[in-house]
Amino acid sequence: MAAAAVYSNPGFDFSNLTRNNFLAEKGIPLPKATSTGTTIVGCIFEDGIILGADTRATEGPIVADKNCEKIHYITESIRCCGAGTAADTEFVTNLISSNMELHGLTHGRKPRVVTAMTMLKQYLFRYQGHVGAALVLGGVDSTGPNLFTIAPHGSTDKLPYVTMGSGSLAAMAVFESYWRPNMSRADALQLVKDAISAGIFNDLGSGSNVDACIITANHTEMLRNVEMPNERVQKERSYVFRKGTTAWKKEDIKKLVLSEEVTPISGEAMDTD
Amino acid sequence: MDRIDMHRLKQGEVNLGTSIMAVQFDGGVVIGADSRTTTGSYIANRVTDKLTFLHDRIYCCRSGSAADTQAIADFGHYYLQMQAQVLGSAPSVLTAAAIMEKMCYQNKDQLSAGIIVAGWDEKAGPSVYNIPLGGGLFRQPWAIGGSGSTYVYGYCDATYQEGWGKDETVNFVKNTLALAMSRDGSSGGCIRMCVITKDGVERKFIPGDQLPRFWEGKEILGEATQKPPAAISAVSDVAPMAVEV
Amino acid sequence: MTSIGTGYDLSASTYSPDGRIFQVEYANKAVENSGTAIGLRVKGGIVLAVEKLVHSKLLIPEANRRIQTLDRHLGLATAGLLADGRQLANRARDESSNFRDSFRSPAPVKYIADRLGSYVQVYTLYSSVRPFGISTIIGGVDQDGPSLFVIEPSGVFFGYHGAAVGKGRQLAKTELEKLKLSDLSMREAVMEAARIIYLVHDDSKEKAFELEMSWIGDETKGLHVPVPKDLLAEAEQKAKAALEDFE
Repeated sequence: MAAAAVYSNPGFDFSNLTRNNFLAEKGIPLPKATSTGTTIVGCIFEDGIILGADTRATEGPIVADKNCEKIHYITESIRCCGAGTAADTEFVTNLISSNMELHGLTHGRKPRVVTAMTMLKQYLFRYQGHVGAALVLGGVDSTGPNLFTIAPHGSTDKLPYVTMGSGSLAAMAVFESYWRPNMSRADALQLVKDAISAGIFNDLGSGSNVDACIITANHTEMLRNVEMPNERVQKERSYVFRKGTTAWKKEDIKKLVLSEEVTPISGEAMDTD
Repeated sequence: MDRIDMHRLKQGEVNLGTSIMAVQFDGGVVIGADSRTTTGSYIANRVTDKLTFLHDRIYCCRSGSAADTQAIADFGHYYLQMQAQVLGSAPSVLTAAAIMEKMCYQNKDQLSAGIIVAGWDEKAGPSVYNIPLGGGLFRQPWAIGGSGSTYVYGYCDATYQEGWGKDETVNFVKNTLALAMSRDGSSGGCIRMCVITKDGVERKFIPGDQLPRFWEGKEILGEATQKPPAAISAVSDVAPMAVEV
Repeated sequence: MTSIGTGYDLSASTYSPDGRIFQVEYANKAVENSGTAIGLRVKGGIVLAVEKLVHSKLLIPEANRRIQTLDRHLGLATAGLLADGRQLANRARDESSNFRDSFRSPAPVKYIADRLGSYVQVYTLYSSVRPFGISTIIGGVDQDGPSLFVIEPSGVFFGYHGAAVGKGRQLAKTELEKLKLSDLSMREAVMEAARIIYLVHDDSKEKAFELEMSWIGDETKGLHVPVPKDLLAEAEQKAKAALEDFE
C-alpha cells in the first residue's frame, strides 16, 4: 500500500475498508447520503385534483436551486410531484411518462392514473428503496379524479388529500384543519397554497415559491410560481466601494498589444479548394 | 411468533405496525384490521385499508412492510386470476393461501410480511389461514397478527367459542381490535371489517370515535377521567373519512 | 401421400404445397403400427386398457408397461414409440407436481392435457427435432369427476367418452360406440375393455400379447392403480369366452 502506486496490484483494492471500519469504530461514521428537503401536496376538489410544490432544491445545507420545478409531466391529465433524490424523481417520472405514452398508443385510449401508479410502485419496489423517489401522483381519467402517494419502497396510499417530503408534517396540519369534501376550485387552490406555504416557512428543507397544477376532466393548468413570498427586493444601500478607497503611490502604464511581422517561407500557398 | 421485528424494516420504510384479525364462523369469515400506517413516529395514513382483495370471496389482512405486503397481494391477485382462468371456477382459499405462503417463504430474506388469508370457497366453506413472518401455512379457527396482536392473545383464548353466528363473530373481532389498538402505539385509527360469505362480501367501518371502550381507570384516578374526551366530530365539523381503495 | 412431389417430407418445419406436414403424418403411422390402447369414461371413473404386443418369449411378463401413473389421480396410456411415451409421462409428472406445489391441489385432467398438448405441438415446429410418435390417452378424476383426453402427434387434444388409438382403433371405436358408457359401472367397464382388446387383437399377424389394465374412480378411492389380478383374470376369461361365441 505504502508508496507503491506505480506497481499497484491488479483487481479490487480493499485497503480502505480497514481504515473506514477503524474510523467508524472511533465514532466517525461514513458520510451519509443526503435527501433533499421538499414540500409537495395534492388534494381532491369538486371537479378534479390540485397538486402543489415548493421550488427549493438543496444539496445538504446549500440551496442548489431557488426556483426548480417539482411538478412533473406524466400525461396531459396526469401529473406527479417528486420529493427525495432529485435525479431519481426526475428520471423515474420521465420513464413512466414515456411508458404511459406508449401504453396509450398500443391500447388506443388514455391510460389511467392507477396505471401510472402501478408502473411507479412496481419500479420502485424492484429497486428496494434505492431509487429514492417519494411521489404524489394525481390526475383525472375515465374513472374520475385520482390521488395517490408512492413511497420510495413502493408502497402506495389512496387518499383525498396527501402530503410528502420533509415539509409534509407542516402541510398535513393545514389539510387536516381546513380540507372539506367538494371544495370549490378557488378554495382548494388557496388551501394548497397555504399548505405549501406552511412547508416553505416552517421546514428548513423547503423554501422559495409555490407551484400549483389544477387538473380537471378536460383541462390542465400549470400555475408556475403562483405565489412568490420570498422575492428579492431592492437593497436599501449600495455596497459598491467608492473610487479612491484604496490609496496609490505610483502610476505606470504598459502597452500590452504587440505587433508582429510574419514572413511566408514557401512560395505558394497550399491549394485547399 | 408473528410479532413484527421492527429492525427488519429498512430505513425509512413505510410500516403497517398493525392489529389484524380473521375469525371463521358457520356461514363465512369475519376479517378486520385497524387503519394506521406509520413511518417512524409519523402516521402516514390514518384511514388505511389493510383488508386486501385477492379474489371474489378471498381477502387477506396485511401486516409488516406496506411495500412488501402490497407487492405480495398484487402478485397473489394476479396468480389467482390466472388460476381462475385455468380452472374455469373460483380458486379455493387453500390455493390462495398456498400461493401467498410460497412467495413469503421463498423471499423470506427480503420480506417482512405477516399475512392472514381468509375467505369462503365451495369445497371447504369458510376458512382462515395464518402465514407468519418467514412463511408457513396454518389453518386456524381464528387468527390474529401484527404488533398489536401480542396484547390480545389471552383475550382471544378466553373469549372465543365455537358455534358463533355472524353478529357474535363481528363483535368479537371489533372488541379484540379495539383492545389491541388501545394498548399498541403503532395500531389505531378506525376499524375496518369484512364479512365474507357464500353470498358476498359486506364491508363494515367503525370510526375512531365509535370504538368499543373498556375500563379506563376511573376507580383509581377518580371522577376526573370518567368523562370521555370529546370526539373529534363534536369539536368541529371535521369531515369523517371513509376511503375505499 | 407420395403422389405429391417429394422433398416436402424431410422436415417437420416444412409444409407441403397443399398445407400438410408430412413428418407429423408419418408420426401417425408410427402410432398405427402399435398395439391398441383404449380408454373408457364411465359413471364412476376411468378404465384404461392396452394390448401390449410381446415380440419375444424371453421378455419378463408385465415388464415394459405402456400404462403409466402421472399422479395420484392421473393415468396415461400410449400407443406408438414406447420411449416417447416415457418421455411424455415424465413431463406430465413434472407438470402435475408443479401444479400441486403452486396451488396445493391436484391438477385438473384438462390442465395436464392442455400442457402436454402444447409440449407435443412444439415438436412439430422445428427441423432439428422429430414429432412425438405416440397418441396418448390421459384419464383421471378431478373436482368435476372423471375425464378422458387423447393427445395426437400434432399436439391437438380432444375430450372423449371412449377413446381408442393404435393398430385396432377402428374396430375398437365401433365397439365402444355400441356401449352405453355413461351407464356402465367401473367393473362392467373393465369387462368391456378386456373384451374389446381381445376382439381387436389380430391373431393371424401378431402372436402373443399381454392385456394391461388400470382404473381410477370410486372403486379405487380416486387413485390410479392397476386393475387387481383376480379381476383382470376374470375379465380375460370372460373376454376369451365372448370371443369364442363371436366366432
